[in-house]
Amino acid sequence: MAEKIVEELRPFFDPKAVAIIGATNKKGKVGNVIFENFKTNKERGIFKGNIYPVNPKHDEIEGYKVYHSVEELPDDTDLAVIAIPAPFVPDTMRQIAKKGIKAVVIITGGFGELGEEGKKLEREIYEIAKANGIRVIGPNCVGVYVPDTGVDTVFLPEEKMDRPKGGPIAFVTQSGAFAAAMLDWAAGAGIGIGKMVSYGNKIDVDDADLMDYFIHDDSINVVTLYIEGVKDGRKFMEAAKRITKVKPVIALKSGRSEYGAKAASSHTGSLAGQDVIYDAVFKQTGIIRAEDFEHMFDLAKAFASLKGKLPKGDRIGIITDGGGAGVMASDAVARFGLRMAELSEETIRFLRERFPPHAVVGNPTDVVGDTDVERYRLALEAFTKDENVDAILVIVLFQVPLLDEEKVIEVIADYQKKSDKPILAVAMGGKKTDRYARMLEERGVPVYPTPERGVRALAGLVRYAEYLKKVKGE
Amino acid sequence: MKEEALKVIESVLSQGRTAMVEYEAKQVLKAYGLPVPEERLAKTPDEALKYAEEIGYPVALKLMSPQILHKSDAKVVLLNIKGPEELKQKWEEIHENARKYRPDAEILGVLVAPMLKPGREIIIGVTEDPQFGHAIMFGLGGIFVEVLKDVTFRIIPITERDARKMVQEIKGYPILAGARGEEPADIDAIVNMLLKVSELVDDLRDYIKEMDLNPVFVYEKGKGAVIVDARIILKEPKEKP
Repeated sequence: MAEKIVEELRPFFDPKAVAIIGATNKKGKVGNVIFENFKTNKERGIFKGNIYPVNPKHDEIEGYKVYHSVEELPDDTDLAVIAIPAPFVPDTMRQIAKKGIKAVVIITGGFGELGEEGKKLEREIYEIAKANGIRVIGPNCVGVYVPDTGVDTVFLPEEKMDRPKGGPIAFVTQSGAFAAAMLDWAAGAGIGIGKMVSYGNKIDVDDADLMDYFIHDDSINVVTLYIEGVKDGRKFMEAAKRITKVKPVIALKSGRSEYGAKAASSHTGSLAGQDVIYDAVFKQTGIIRAEDFEHMFDLAKAFASLKGKLPKGDRIGIITDGGGAGVMASDAVARFGLRMAELSEETIRFLRERFPPHAVVGNPTDVVGDTDVERYRLALEAFTKDENVDAILVIVLFQVPLLDEEKVIEVIADYQKKSDKPILAVAMGGKKTDRYARMLEERGVPVYPTPERGVRALAGLVRYAEYLKKVKGE
Repeated sequence: MKEEALKVIESVLSQGRTAMVEYEAKQVLKAYGLPVPEERLAKTPDEALKYAEEIGYPVALKLMSPQILHKSDAKVVLLNIKGPEELKQKWEEIHENARKYRPDAEILGVLVAPMLKPGREIIIGVTEDPQFGHAIMFGLGGIFVEVLKDVTFRIIPITERDARKMVQEIKGYPILAGARGEEPADIDAIVNMLLKVSELVDDLRDYIKEMDLNPVFVYEKGKGAVIVDARIILKEPKEKP
């Protein structure tokens, strides 16, 4: 039953031919931007399918034949993107149904979010879809973005919104504006997004459907959700429980308001509110709750880079070349409910024998400001071999004079590959540091700009690992 | 279990009520094996005397009326009754107080209850969320729930893992685990209660709207727990087609 969802949603992510209904040559219009997206991706050799603009008012746009109606479309069309005003959509849906197209993205707004009239239109569309086995994403959304297949229904032009490269992170969002901001931000931060789905009013395809889809999507190893509200709570919980068994899901839930004018007739009723209920839902389904969008991507980055490597416990080892940063990290370990690892006698002896007397051996181990690459290598060697350490936070202040930046990056990346313990890095600084941080990230080590963010991300890894352990035991 | 509970529920609904009085709520809870005190509902002073003998003095009297939900405000909970003479006197007094508070109150009877040894107070509750269904709540009683709102929720049905986590999660957990030289509380008893309440509500989700078990006394490890007071609010019966 779950595989059915893969077949149903496949045309959204990898269509053979896409119809853009409402395509136009008027620059900047939604129907134009979407058409340009597909056209450019085709020219780049990324989008390999056919592109069929539909518009009764045109015969041709930029060399592409324009069909005057859905009826005229070639039979290989398996995805329709609708960018025409709301009142015309139900009829278009009927034509789409007749044509046998089974996947539709409705970009246009002016539906249920506006009121009862809009809700009626939505119901009409939903009925047509359901009766004909059509899956619908939207309405009122920015749709789908898949950098590796060139699907891009996001109506924000490239000049205005950067697009991230592909990667193992899936991003599912209720808010279109948030989607755009996030894609742009991810592009700037060098974070790869494999698939983005913005489902807007979600009259059909919802979080649960997408979670079920991503269970079977091997190109995705972490799913991030931005949710404002869930319609079918049970369906959501069941799908969440299924996916968290195989890959992590991170959720950012906004709208912490209490229930409206709910007259609480019981004590319990007066204490229940949206936030505590969602907390419960996430705890029970193994979804990791992000506190804000920064946290969401910090977590996503960690899971994505580590490729499934999780800590076996909550004991953290900290290596630093700055004492203060080490202290901040230790504080954060306590604050986020983790523990400082107690290094073994062997580790301590090993390092004391090799370190100069002014370096600090312990947890944190401070290789101090005159460090070279060798001290980092020794610390990593000892920490990765120490059975009392479950995960390592390496703080590298790249500013120190004797440290060969590229060599230390190689060493850290090497230990990440060799060891079954997750290694996260912290690099604090400005532009130069950013450059090195990027290099380290490209080599598979997630890097954070502050000790707190690094430890907070680590805590997410630990919580997920704990959940998996408990769930496998049940 | 379900049939017994349903009998009580249907009897309440047939009287046109959705708010169960303490006695009725406790019968539903008892049907699912939840720990309630040895209480009996007396309709006459003679019954009260008989039950008090059976239970053993000292006893408490609690007046059961669907119209009187704030029993302490109405002074219809009288404690520490040490003998039959006092019982007769308190029987009169409790009915006087009820009349003064709410002259038109329908009186279903007076609960004769044993005076319970005080334990650590906890609260267990159930409420219905429009999206996710019934949720169960746990917290320490008194100011912990009233002022500090130190409570935790889970969506029903819950697993044992959920129940244990709930207990450990509250900020006041160290108090249950045994702080400042005090004995640890019977946490297994709490976990079992949470699981049973979850089962009860899962079975009767079409009938139960909200529930408050408050207070519940929890004794030392191995000594169990007992539900001191309980309220159940039922869903409005569906309109017959």
